[in-house]
Amino acid sequence: MKEDKLGFDAYEVFAQTDSMRPHEHQFSLLAPNPEMALTLAKENFLRRSNITSIWVVRRDHIVKSQPADRAQFARLDKSYRMKQSYSGLADTWRKYKTMPLPPIKDSASANVASEDCADDD
Amino acid sequence: MADDDQRLAEFQARIDRGEKVEAEDWMPDDYRRQLIRLIAMHGISEIMGTLPEKEWVPKAPTLYRKLAIMAKVQDEEGHGQLLIRVAEDLLEPLGQNREDLFEDLFAGRLKFHNVFHMPAPTWADAGIIGWLVDGAAIVTQSMLLSGSYAPYGRALTRIVEEEGFHIHHGESICVSLAEGTPAQRAMLQDALERWWPALMTFFGPREGTHLSTHQQQNLRWRIRTKTNEELRQRFLTKFVGRIRSLGLIIPDPILRFDETTRQWHYREPDWDEFRRIIHNHGPMSQERLYLRQLTYDEGRWVREVLSKNARRSA
Amino acid sequence: MTIEGPNHVKPEYRIPLTEVLWQLADDDLVIAFRASEWLGLAPHIEADVAFASIAQDEMGHATMYFELLEALGEGSRDDLAHLRPSAERRNAVLLEIPNGSGSYLHEPHFDWAFTVCRHYLYDVFEALRLEALTQSSYLPLRQVAQKAIREEVYHLAHQELWLRQLAEHSKLTRARLVDGLSQAMSWAGDLTWAAPWQAAFEEFSLVPGYRALQQRWRDAIDRKFREWGLPLLKAEMPLNGRDGRHTRHLDDVLSTLSEVYRLDPTAKW
Repeated sequence: MKEDKLGFDAYEVFAQTDSMRPHEHQFSLLAPNPEMALTLAKENFLRRSNITSIWVVRRDHIVKSQPADRAQFARLDKSYRMKQSYSGLADTWRKYKTMPLPPIKDSASANVASEDCADDD
Repeated sequence: MADDDQRLAEFQARIDRGEKVEAEDWMPDDYRRQLIRLIAMHGISEIMGTLPEKEWVPKAPTLYRKLAIMAKVQDEEGHGQLLIRVAEDLLEPLGQNREDLFEDLFAGRLKFHNVFHMPAPTWADAGIIGWLVDGAAIVTQSMLLSGSYAPYGRALTRIVEEEGFHIHHGESICVSLAEGTPAQRAMLQDALERWWPALMTFFGPREGTHLSTHQQQNLRWRIRTKTNEELRQRFLTKFVGRIRSLGLIIPDPILRFDETTRQWHYREPDWDEFRRIIHNHGPMSQERLYLRQLTYDEGRWVREVLSKNARRSA
Repeated sequence: MTIEGPNHVKPEYRIPLTEVLWQLADDDLVIAFRASEWLGLAPHIEADVAFASIAQDEMGHATMYFELLEALGEGSRDDLAHLRPSAERRNAVLLEIPNGSGSYLHEPHFDWAFTVCRHYLYDVFEALRLEALTQSSYLPLRQVAQKAIREEVYHLAHQELWLRQLAEHSKLTRARLVDGLSQAMSWAGDLTWAAPWQAAFEEFSLVPGYRALQQRWRDAIDRKFREWGLPLLKAEMPLNGRDGRHTRHLDDVLSTLSEVYRLDPTAKW
């Protein structure tokens, strides 16, 4: 290494394009301090975007998962918690819209049944 | 003083331009207070709301339903996490955090939503909660989504996305019961009757001809964008037809939609009862608060392990 | 040797195969129940959400094993999960022991230290067992194991971190941890115990190296316990769940799990 070789800190840059969106990682740059990193970030990575906010974080302040941790991220099928798995309901509702189920007779509230059905829309 | 008025006017102008407010932005004390009140109550309600449903997690009838309701209740806990984090960022300048919210809950200073004071004695209650209570929640949350406070909006975006699954999960349970045996259908009808009054009070009392100063202020600051009554009307429009199409009888003999006024007419709920309930005098209020406090207190030693300022000994 | 699926199963193979599957399904069902009791009640909100995923994963694994049994014509998965009496259950007794006193509905005085210790002891064993099962002669089981083992990595990492954190934090928390560990070890014997009749598990290559799992489990936990300064306790076996001998706690678990299903097992839920 040359004696006069210079060193810089790496900063990771995040930006938000709309207040309702999360900050997204853009890229990294070299800077001597956070203020300079923030100033340089906008024109380096966001020349064509309208943005609402920028974050810079010194890289060594970020704790990262290691490549070996990837195995931990494995996730099996969780279809039971996905909206898409219940897509058959749309057909069910279409069916009942045209052909409702008969009113429930044996309930405790049978006494209000006829009255209620009379003004059903 | 003039400076304060100036700042307030500028803040209002930002809101009027449709700009969003962030946690670190300057905001009027009262705006912060109103947000904390709303978001802390929302967050703590999600946390309390796990209790009626968790009763049915292991009891859910099939393996598939067990998995789905586990996921659903986990999501509610996760919503509590998101909202409480948003509240904590607002509380930070006041030197407070979630510990204070739990203290407020136990002391009766922080209320939780009326529906979570109610009993859920059958599996059909789990279905009605998923379908209609979450259905009501999504009506409110979709409105709050366009509010002026961005961190709340971002949390709600995640929440509303997951609520989509919750409603489907609830609908699916209710449809199965409605299409099932007479006993299953009766169980569902029974649960609907139990939950209807709580659903009708879910959105709060109808506003009088004049809104209170608080309500006007919250509308002006776009903390909320619709009135209680507008939300209730929206809920009825969304759900009454479907409820009836399942053959269920809504326990309100005068409920009907007036085509000329484009408004639902309904039997006025018992608002005194509503107030008793949210002041922790509902059927399950004390039991659920006890359960929450018991586990909270006994878990303290574990939270100390996680705390940055816990006492340590070698 | 590879048995492709249910249609290729001969009678002498079927008996040990179903035994293995009962053990797997029952273990995961019961531990999933215990873990799910914490849902909404865990000491820290973020920890509650994370542990709830582990409970779900275990329930998901149980479901896959019950499906394999269903495919073998043993009955519908939900009948198998809900209706079999405790004497037919093959889960390790360790997994049915309550999280503390009370129940999840009433006076839950739950012990987080015991919970993570018990789950850790189970996860170490489950990871070893699944690794063996990825070489199983029964192809459908091999395929399920290859899937399930992927989620085990996180479970193990989660439990190890909690144990380490509790062990290292303070004298008080270490004492609590040791107490939880002693309770868990006082029931842990049947988890890894290989019965003479389970020789068939190896003979048919259903669970290759089954009898060696006990020692491998012991070595794995001892290595970690030394690292964390925890005592190396003996795994006691007051009852053997693999033989269908259980505490009355399992009856409580089963009646809760099947409360709704039993109202009408023929209904669509």
